[in-house]
Amino acid sequence: MTDQYDIVIIGCGVIGSSIAYHLSEYKQKRILVIDKGFPLSGTSGSTQAWVWVHNKVPSWYGELSMYSAELYPFLERKIGDVEYKRTGGIAPFFAQTDWDKALRLAEEQAEVGIKVEVLTRDQVLEKEPALSPKIAGATYSDMDGNVNPFRLVELYIKAAKRNEVEFSFYNPVTEMVMEKDHYKIYTKNKKDAITTERVILAGGPWSKEIGELLGLDIPVKQVRGQVIITEPLAPFLKHTIGGMRQAENGEVLIGFSKEEVGYDRRTTMDVIQETAQMAINYIPSLAKANIVRSFSGVRVIPEDGFPILGKIPDKKNAYIAAMHSGVTLSPLVGTLMAELVMVGETSICLKRYSLKRFMNYA
Amino acid sequence: MKTDVLIIGGGPAGLNAAIETASRGIKTIIIEESYALGGQLKQQTQFFNNLPKQFDRQRGIHLMRTLIDRLSPLPITCLLKHKMIGVYKDGRIGIANDTETFPIDAKKVIVTTGAAEETDLFPGWTLPGVMTVGAAQILINRERVLPGKNALIVGLNSFSAEVAKQLKACGINILGVMDKTVSVNDKKLVEGLEDKKIRVMVNTVIERATGAGEVKKVTINNDGKKEDLDIDLICIGKGLAPILEPLEILDCEFGFQAKLGGLVPKYYSTLGTSNPSVYVAGNAAGITCLGGILLTAEIAALNALKALGVLNDNEVKVRSSFLWDELRSMESEESIETFIARVAHIKEFHEECELPLPASFHAILEGC
Repeated sequence: MTDQYDIVIIGCGVIGSSIAYHLSEYKQKRILVIDKGFPLSGTSGSTQAWVWVHNKVPSWYGELSMYSAELYPFLERKIGDVEYKRTGGIAPFFAQTDWDKALRLAEEQAEVGIKVEVLTRDQVLEKEPALSPKIAGATYSDMDGNVNPFRLVELYIKAAKRNEVEFSFYNPVTEMVMEKDHYKIYTKNKKDAITTERVILAGGPWSKEIGELLGLDIPVKQVRGQVIITEPLAPFLKHTIGGMRQAENGEVLIGFSKEEVGYDRRTTMDVIQETAQMAINYIPSLAKANIVRSFSGVRVIPEDGFPILGKIPDKKNAYIAAMHSGVTLSPLVGTLMAELVMVGETSICLKRYSLKRFMNYA
Repeated sequence: MKTDVLIIGGGPAGLNAAIETASRGIKTIIIEESYALGGQLKQQTQFFNNLPKQFDRQRGIHLMRTLIDRLSPLPITCLLKHKMIGVYKDGRIGIANDTETFPIDAKKVIVTTGAAEETDLFPGWTLPGVMTVGAAQILINRERVLPGKNALIVGLNSFSAEVAKQLKACGINILGVMDKTVSVNDKKLVEGLEDKKIRVMVNTVIERATGAGEVKKVTINNDGKKEDLDIDLICIGKGLAPILEPLEILDCEFGFQAKLGGLVPKYYSTLGTSNPSVYVAGNAAGITCLGGILLTAEIAALNALKALGVLNDNEVKVRSSFLWDELRSMESEESIETFIARVAHIKEFHEECELPLPASFHAILEGC
């Protein structure tokens, strides 16, 4: 086995593995995916895994999420059952003054074809009787849902392996050197460099560190979300609700928090108690449920909130995919990045998402 | 609530650590999730010959009494039916019972959460009548309930062998104690079982357990030869693994030591962890014998007292070195591999932190 590849993808989370799979469908390139740990030990394995469309704004960003959600049923036919469920999503609000905001959202999303309904309290309670009668209303879309992130990433990897993609886990990248027509990538577990024509950065919350290896400043933040999980309860939540959902096994996953504390996966009692209180505000009957565990996920968020996708300016044959909502966007981002690398152009224009928007050309 | 020392877990390690700290007049709180102190000693009717010098040889349940009697005159708070459920941002420990949640502000925390039994997975393992050896021991010694009439024990080790004998003494027919492999170190165990007319089945695994509503039959595979046995009780004795959740929540680092039960918190020769206010002792610091459980608790408590400025360096040095010697002889008697793994584990962490081992520890290293 030589250490020469056409494409090396750094990061094997939901984005890296999706890009690997979609590239492998062309069956033309030798592809290697490198990860510092094991898939799902990081961000992609510590998520509520919503496929969430309806309140992604502005509408051009919502549109991206919508197309990606639409791809899930087709993806399942290709890679297998990832337990995608289009449950419909409800985002409740408590203040009467939020009505206008909700109506504006529905109007704006309608322009790109995202159907958002504004529901009165009675309409919401009819859809989801467990919700608190104290809510004023909610926005609703039947496009939202959720997926099993463990099956998703595992099946991306399995499908990629069938197409002869190679994987190297527990193997952090330590150095990257750009030579005339290729990159040399040094890793912890290999003495010799891995040579590749193209490199794709899909490091999620580690994008900054990986970018530095190429002398880049990737403007992303690490944001911690703490999630609490109840004991398995009889099925009572049909929809994906802003902040919570009931999993197949009856456990309710609940999380609202966002903290910038670096890569710290601890949970804190302060946030756990706040989270539990918010859950009860939404669904009063949860007051009686036992919490059995909690976990934290550290997500990546680009400085302006929107995905960073495409070729890296001024670096030959180098690409980046870094974004929040990787689970929602993975089928589409995988498709588009594969088009970009293999064909050179994409079916949805990625110009808006270029890293260039952050670069200061004085 | 404020305290100098918070002990998480009121089993033998927690009790012995509390005796050490509270007898020095240090404010100590024990958190215990069950209804009573004593941990797994509550049903250990067997005799323990190999205990630290300060304890007479005695049965586990009597040792529990001894520890509680020593503790009871001391100024200590025991919160029974309370659990540690988290840590606040400012480091205070989150405690809950069924009705309230509150913080405890502790200068030092000693984690003595003990161990959980490992199970074994085979088709039918969820049927009623399939349980761990520890559960079977609770049923006969604590609840006074006969768990079955015809039993098969899966896994050979000192604990499963002991429970096999106790079940037999209760009149249960033991069809055998089975395991995939039996090492030379297990010779004494095998002889002990055969003395009691309990069959030891080597090279044997369970294929499946069956029964409607409860286990009735088991298919075993002895070196390729399959056999059906009529049983109504399967006891799984696959060893123990440290209970680590509180240490995870307290942000302690972990290392892998197979001989200590797998993933174990990293700790110094003081039994202090990577979190400067957290110590670990007992089975949570690596699976060991009862003597090892009691002694590691004393070492941890001693060093917590030193860190609190209650004991001077010299006093701690002298007693530590005495306790480590005793720990070596005690663990060596049961299984020298445990002690060697423990010392390697400590040495690794000191090297990782570039912290020299105390001089007294060098003699111990040479002994290994």
